[in-house]
Amino acid sequence: MTETTTDRSAAVAPRIEVATGQRAVEFDALPSKLSVRGLDFFYGKEQALFGNTLEIKEKRVTAIIGPSGCGKSTHIRTFNRIYELYRNQRATGEIWFDGRNILASGTDLLDLRRRIGMIFQKPSPFPMTVFDNIAYGLRLHFKLSRSELADHVEDALKRAALWDEVKHKLKEPGLALSGGQQQRLSIARAIAAEPEVILMDEPCSAIDPVATAKIEELIAQLSSAYTIVIVTHNMQQAARVSDYTAFFFEGRIVEAGLTTQIFENPQRKQTEDYITGRFS
Amino acid sequence: MSADTMPGPLSAVPLRPRSVARRRVVDRLVTSLAWLAAAFGVFIMGWIVVTVVGRGIGAINWAFFTQSPPAGADLGGGLGPCIVGTIVLTGFAAVIGIPIGFFGAVYLSEFGRTGRIATAIRTITNVVLGVPSIIAGLFAYAILVKPLHHYSGFAGSVALAFIMLPVMTRAAEDVLNLVPNELRESALAMGAPRWRATLGVIVRSARAGLITSTILAVVRVAGETAPLLFTALSSPYWLNGLFGPSGFFGGPVANLTKTIYDYSTSPYQHLQQLAWGGALVIIVAVLGTNVLVRLVFQRGK
Repeated sequence: MTETTTDRSAAVAPRIEVATGQRAVEFDALPSKLSVRGLDFFYGKEQALFGNTLEIKEKRVTAIIGPSGCGKSTHIRTFNRIYELYRNQRATGEIWFDGRNILASGTDLLDLRRRIGMIFQKPSPFPMTVFDNIAYGLRLHFKLSRSELADHVEDALKRAALWDEVKHKLKEPGLALSGGQQQRLSIARAIAAEPEVILMDEPCSAIDPVATAKIEELIAQLSSAYTIVIVTHNMQQAARVSDYTAFFFEGRIVEAGLTTQIFENPQRKQTEDYITGRFS
Repeated sequence: MSADTMPGPLSAVPLRPRSVARRRVVDRLVTSLAWLAAAFGVFIMGWIVVTVVGRGIGAINWAFFTQSPPAGADLGGGLGPCIVGTIVLTGFAAVIGIPIGFFGAVYLSEFGRTGRIATAIRTITNVVLGVPSIIAGLFAYAILVKPLHHYSGFAGSVALAFIMLPVMTRAAEDVLNLVPNELRESALAMGAPRWRATLGVIVRSARAGLITSTILAVVRVAGETAPLLFTALSSPYWLNGLFGPSGFFGGPVANLTKTIYDYSTSPYQHLQQLAWGGALVIIVAVLGTNVLVRLVFQRGK
């Protein structure tokens, strides 16, 4: 193969519009909701994360970007310790959440997972009605009367911008909704448990562009009340929805900071190459 | 990749195409062989059904279902007690075998997974699946008939349950393994304890398949004869109570399969006729249930 002679800086980089920058203030000025310190992760003997350190700012959207297999999902799957479902997966290091290291033994996983909700790539409604899907977390964690339950279900669906579409379908199975609706149902289900943090693992990669736009709009609304961490391989999406961005490469955080800065003035060459699509 | 870096041909050696005609012939051949094998299986099945229906239909009347087998060389009578007995024996076997098989499958697919214990259980299950059914009968004979000094329906049900257990475990585990991991993770990510996620979400999403597995496992043993040979034996009398000589725990229990075996080898033509009728009843029940279950639950998918 021949070496390309074109000068890198002369190539026209695709411009990515950063929309939410105005909300993001100086990184250090905001309190952190989650502080990751020296996080290592192993799949069996294979190490997937290497001593990562990251601050997740309260009531802001943090995007995690990077090429496939770089450890984005692995990283956020440590925040609610969901990886423990698989016996050969192991995390070491510290993740501080509300004054406690959640990786320490003795963490109440049920309460941790109520406070840190998660949305997955594939919409995954439970095999029950729309109403029962939302009520699932409420029934798990709270004692509610019948009417209180109905109120909270309605409230969660409204906050997930789904109420108007499903208010006459509450008794229908969650699986009968469209893909995009199912994903917002998953979000509503997570919201209903009154979480503080919402983790989103490529929430739009299995749904169409119109549904994606709705979810992105929803993320913007939710970020006033919740701390959101979103993994995405769509850089335009990261730029549109996030205040902060962390760029992962081969299990390491190459660069993290204000989204505007990462996209408009990256400090590291690897970041710049990835952002501008010159990655090989 | 830009145009100037496009690679050229991989090699200077020209690629020689394979013969299309030859591939077409091989394709036809393999297709016909597969078709023939399938047709042969269906043909044998059809032959059995046609024979059993042809010979057995004459025995089917109201008395067949309501009356006891004739005593001695009398004519008439029916297999009423045998039908009831087979239903009770199979039903009780299901009461033992299905829950154990179900929870075993839940353990294997949700908790044990690839662990050493689960692997061992899975291997043992496969071995038991291949154990000849007469061994199941011997086993029940050894633990329930010999020590108690009498045959019983209970021993027959235990023998049938022993055969049902691995069938249910494997079928249910296969069904549970079809539940996507994302659903498991979603339930646990809601802060659900493991048992609630398992029963409320995972088992629930697999329920159609689990019902199918259950029914097929039950039907699978309904036609078994060997396990009953030295456990439930058979009897010409109606099942009566629990502990008496005609009771479920107290003595031999009438059943279709053993009766078919006895009557088909008897010299009396009217008993042979009853045996054909019994065979027809079993085949219709087993085939009918199979077809019905598959129709109902395949449409649900």
